[in-house]
Amino acid sequence: MPSWSELSQFLVSGLALGGVYALSGVGLVVLYRATGVLFLAFGAVGAMGAFLTYEMIQASAPGWAAWIVCILFGGVVTLIYGMIFGPALAGRNTLVRAVATLGLTLILFGAMEVLWPPTSGAVRAISLPTDNSGFTLFGLQVTWTQVIALGAGVVLTVATGLFLRYTKLGTAMRAMANDREITATLGVPVRRVEAAAWFGCGILAGFAGLLLADLVQLEPATLTFLVISSLAAALIARLRSITVTFVAAIVIGVVHDLLTPFTALTNYRDMTPFVLAVIALLVVSRHRTVMTRSREEA
Amino acid sequence: MNRFEHRRSRLAGAAVAVIAIGGVLAGCSSSSSSTSSTSTPASTSSSSAPAPTSGSASPTSTAVTTSSCGTKPGVAATGTPINLGSIVTDQTGTSFADIANMANAYFTCVNANGGINGHPIKYFIEKEQTNATQIASEAKQLVQSDHVVGIVGNTSIIECSVDHTYWEGLGYYIIDSGIAPECYSTSHSAAVNMGPRYSSDGAVQYALTQHPSKIVFDQANVPGTTYIAAGPNAIAAAAKVPITDMTATPPVADANSVAISLVDAAGKDGAVVLNFTPPDALAILGAAQKLNIEDNVKLWACSTPCNTDFLATTLGPKWNNKIFVNAELTPPDKTNTPTMNLYKAILKQYGSAVTGGIGSFSQMGFVEAELMVKALESVTGSYTVASVNAAIKGLTDVNTGMLCQQWSYGSYSSHIPNNEDYTVTADNGQMVIASNGGCTPISAVDPQIAAYRAEAGTAPLDPTST
Repeated sequence: MPSWSELSQFLVSGLALGGVYALSGVGLVVLYRATGVLFLAFGAVGAMGAFLTYEMIQASAPGWAAWIVCILFGGVVTLIYGMIFGPALAGRNTLVRAVATLGLTLILFGAMEVLWPPTSGAVRAISLPTDNSGFTLFGLQVTWTQVIALGAGVVLTVATGLFLRYTKLGTAMRAMANDREITATLGVPVRRVEAAAWFGCGILAGFAGLLLADLVQLEPATLTFLVISSLAAALIARLRSITVTFVAAIVIGVVHDLLTPFTALTNYRDMTPFVLAVIALLVVSRHRTVMTRSREEA
Repeated sequence: MNRFEHRRSRLAGAAVAVIAIGGVLAGCSSSSSSTSSTSTPASTSSSSAPAPTSGSASPTSTAVTTSSCGTKPGVAATGTPINLGSIVTDQTGTSFADIANMANAYFTCVNANGGINGHPIKYFIEKEQTNATQIASEAKQLVQSDHVVGIVGNTSIIECSVDHTYWEGLGYYIIDSGIAPECYSTSHSAAVNMGPRYSSDGAVQYALTQHPSKIVFDQANVPGTTYIAAGPNAIAAAAKVPITDMTATPPVADANSVAISLVDAAGKDGAVVLNFTPPDALAILGAAQKLNIEDNVKLWACSTPCNTDFLATTLGPKWNNKIFVNAELTPPDKTNTPTMNLYKAILKQYGSAVTGGIGSFSQMGFVEAELMVKALESVTGSYTVASVNAAIKGLTDVNTGMLCQQWSYGSYSSHIPNNEDYTVTADNGQMVIASNGGCTPISAVDPQIAAYRAEAGTAPLDPTST
């Protein structure tokens, strides 16, 4: 059994990992609530943006300009996809709309494999200035990049919650989540609201991609498929609650890393998102069945 | 449908989508994505322009023209091509394409300078994604469609396991860079490198010279981990130093937790030995540096893939004399021999496809091509499967200029012709030979090494390599 001093180190690294899962998860839930689309290209969009940043830095462009390009690339690509395919797929079921975004995922993934093929020797990497300083916690150096990742998740969760609850655009997004057609008949500019949601989600994808490229690895498959952990967090929150998504993402990150020192479990820690999602869905499903039966009996 | 049911239906749909699509994505990331041939016929164009001097990596290197790679400088080979083939792993997170690409660069150089008795070499490179069916199919394509008379430059995670009986049946003697056990333990495969097991042996052996209290050996979770770990475990056991084996799934997405677990397992007086491709090794070492735990162990060591200047440059001076890397080939940075200078010159003039530049992988490609050219030059008569492979098998005590020992093929049941090596360490952005890191035989405590030496003996040192 690992000691607390060992576990505390994994707790710190797990919090940082959970923070970046949370960023992606919250973006996914916001878009889903506004458009009903499960955006599986979230990771690929961020990865492509990160590679563009890498190329710009290699070409001696200023770092800040390269970071902005990454974030804007995410917003623009996602917006373009949403504006072209969103209306056409609006009437289709959730599965069809999700699979359509898988198409974008595979296109971007393929493009990255062609433009930035795997190398035998040289390694691509992005390093942010915030990597070079930080503080020590439980014997580990915590970089400001990790703090930003976790902090951004918290800020985003709070800000998005307030936005959806108290702003006109947020209210419109919530209304669309319930019924797009009725919302449209009430005079809400549906296309504009959807565009805002797509663009916002894309901006988050770009931001998450930049952070993940620094914190994890600048590698197409890693960044593209890392979204699966975020999807699990969103699913645990039933694609509705931003707060639950945030908490679930943190739990997934922490549990994943806390399993590392347990010899018998360490090779299975990559299953953490799926296992937790399945458990959550089973618990929710059972709870609902019990509630429904109680109501019927009453 | 009421609102509750509507929401429930949407959630169920989303859940199905996530689970189904998760499976698809997971499949995409590991399955074969391309079976298209990437055959790269070597150029047969003439190159009569003055050849450049060697690369900038060695300030003391003398001017060497690439024309010395052939027998007729500046005269392009125009005869009937001699077809050769190669199969390399090239997939997300793991690419050995540089090895075949460097061999191709060498052949291009040979073709531009007389070829093999006037015959150009046509080199077919097949890329695979760790798919046995694909690999078997590519081997057949090379033989049946491309009519190759020799196989050189193979570097694949499982190709030796999949194809060795096929090659044996057809009488091909393969010159490769080995990874799978069958690359070393069979009669028709001889590698220029030591591969992950023996290179890890070397890394552990060097780590033991620093008297660590414990060894933690971490490697990529790919086929053959048990086979690879057997060598380091035997060497550590003989030294009575405890060893812990660990694995991490590539590409490593949680480098922080991997780095912490390694450091925790090794302890302050322990050593961590890594066996990963450069991107994953760099991710783990970089994570240790960011977490400021790189000094929480006595030393770090690594098998050959870490031997790139890029890694030393990226990690920075904090790792000077902190990381020790097994080098299966002569360290290129401060070596000023004719062969090393020719390698750098060929890389510079013909190696645009070699993404990693100077380093072990491109050196392996160079040596393999060099050996194949020596074999072809010894063929009298026509270039057939029988004549070419007899010549390959007959290669004996060859001075490659890149290995500690002379290299031989021979009629042995197993082949580990490279079993003596260097250890290098980071030194301000370069990899240089570490203290007491000169040519050192891999310990015969590893039973495979003992068996090979019993059959083939110990090869003499190569006087041209340093």
